[in-house]
Amino acid sequence: MKIFIQVLLFSVCISSCIKDDILADVIPASVRIVSSVDTLAKDSTFLLEAVYFNTGGKKEEVALEWTSSNSSVLSINSNGLISGQTFGTSEVTVSFGEISTSKTIVVDSTTSAQSLMKGGQVNTTSSYALFGNFTVDQVGTDLNMNFFSDYNASTALPGLYVYLTNNPNSNSGALEIGPVTTFSGAHSYTIPNVGINDYTYVLYFCKPFNVKVGHGAIN
Amino acid sequence: MAQLTKIFKYTFLISVLFSTSISYSGGPWTQKKGEGYFKLSQYWLKYDQHYTDLGKIDPNVTTGIYNTSIYGEFGITNRFTTTLYLPFFSRNLTNNIISEATGELVEKGDAVNSIGDSDIGLKYSLTKPGAKYPVSVSLVLGIPLGKDVAGINNNLQTGDGEFNQILSVDAGTGFKISERIQSYASVNLGFNNRSNDFSEEIRYGLEYGVGFNEKLWLIARVFGVESLKNGPPSSSIVSTGIFANNTEYTSVGIEAAYYLKKRWGVSASITGAFRGEIIAAAPAYNVGVFFDMSK
Repeated sequence: MKIFIQVLLFSVCISSCIKDDILADVIPASVRIVSSVDTLAKDSTFLLEAVYFNTGGKKEEVALEWTSSNSSVLSINSNGLISGQTFGTSEVTVSFGEISTSKTIVVDSTTSAQSLMKGGQVNTTSSYALFGNFTVDQVGTDLNMNFFSDYNASTALPGLYVYLTNNPNSNSGALEIGPVTTFSGAHSYTIPNVGINDYTYVLYFCKPFNVKVGHGAIN
Repeated sequence: MAQLTKIFKYTFLISVLFSTSISYSGGPWTQKKGEGYFKLSQYWLKYDQHYTDLGKIDPNVTTGIYNTSIYGEFGITNRFTTTLYLPFFSRNLTNNIISEATGELVEKGDAVNSIGDSDIGLKYSLTKPGAKYPVSVSLVLGIPLGKDVAGINNNLQTGDGEFNQILSVDAGTGFKISERIQSYASVNLGFNNRSNDFSEEIRYGLEYGVGFNEKLWLIARVFGVESLKNGPPSSSIVSTGIFANNTEYTSVGIEAAYYLKKRWGVSASITGAFRGEIIAAAPAYNVGVFFDMSK
């Protein structure tokens, strides 16, 4: 009997230790241009900004390389400073190793900023209900996110939170907007000091249980 | 029949199937006056997936709950039996979460240790002791001694923070299969009135046991909980975990109990839900040592 109790207690103690769960959060690394223009006035300059995101979706400081497909129209230096040389079109590419992204910039008579409105649709990636179309737009330094009347989220989960993230599989490194308080219908969030290109996904996460409920890409 | 009365007491541990705070009535049989049954047991449940509100299975961070408990029954009279379920050590934990991409610690694991929610109860036999078809009624009060909110994310619990009041009726019968093989069957139907806006519940159970030479008992069970869903949804309740509101399930379980000595024995059981809503989707285990005064 004594041995039985000792073995039992020992095995329970071992099994009741905190262990590790591995989160499958690997996504392709990417480079993103976060500050840009659609058109640049001839003989003017603009400093492009880009960020490298690792396979965890987190920002990482790396040496980026900038190139222009048509230097006679648009020149660019190693820091991303572009100069309008003549009227025309050029494709700017920023890269880190094999990873790159490009943007077409027109050299014209005036400079126009990039679009400050995006949108998308959140969908469930779990067995819990989640759906809704949304827009995001930059107002000064704030980001406004507006959900349409078709939005619907499950009320069955305790602690459902909404985030902005660059990795749709994790809330690590994500910006926590707050707990979900509206479960159907139109509503909006104002998120201070966030740029429209800072994040690429809206993420819904059950915070207490670390359960991903769904996400939507911001396009 | 007296033997059946004793043996049935091995089966109480369905009480800690998932909701560790609520005891099953243990059949219609009551203890004789001055006799009792006591058990020290260890329960554990570790799950990395759960049944959603739609009855489908989704993943979650690995969560464990471990209860070391004492269960006792004592006959006040031949018809009145008191019961006590006391998980004097309850542990709830969540695992660390490590990023596969970066190897970083995404979320540190957490644990809480305390006494757990406990039950006290009183059972009254409506039929005379030794009746062929005994029927009894029970009142079990769930005492919220555990912690309903703990941990960094307030996601750990050793109790639900509410006061259960379970009224149930049990009926059963025992019969011999052969000279050396005995058997019994019982049914249970109960109503759980819950406080703090938790939804009320209807509980039901079926049990069948077979005994060999009065030494070894093998028991099979079906147990279920149906929520009336008259409380608020989980999104509006701070409490989380396995004590979530509007939980439903139907489970099956098996148990083996063996007398090592005249009054001493050991038992082991495994139970798992085959359907459910907002409940862990993993088997629960229980092992214990019992002392039977009636032998």
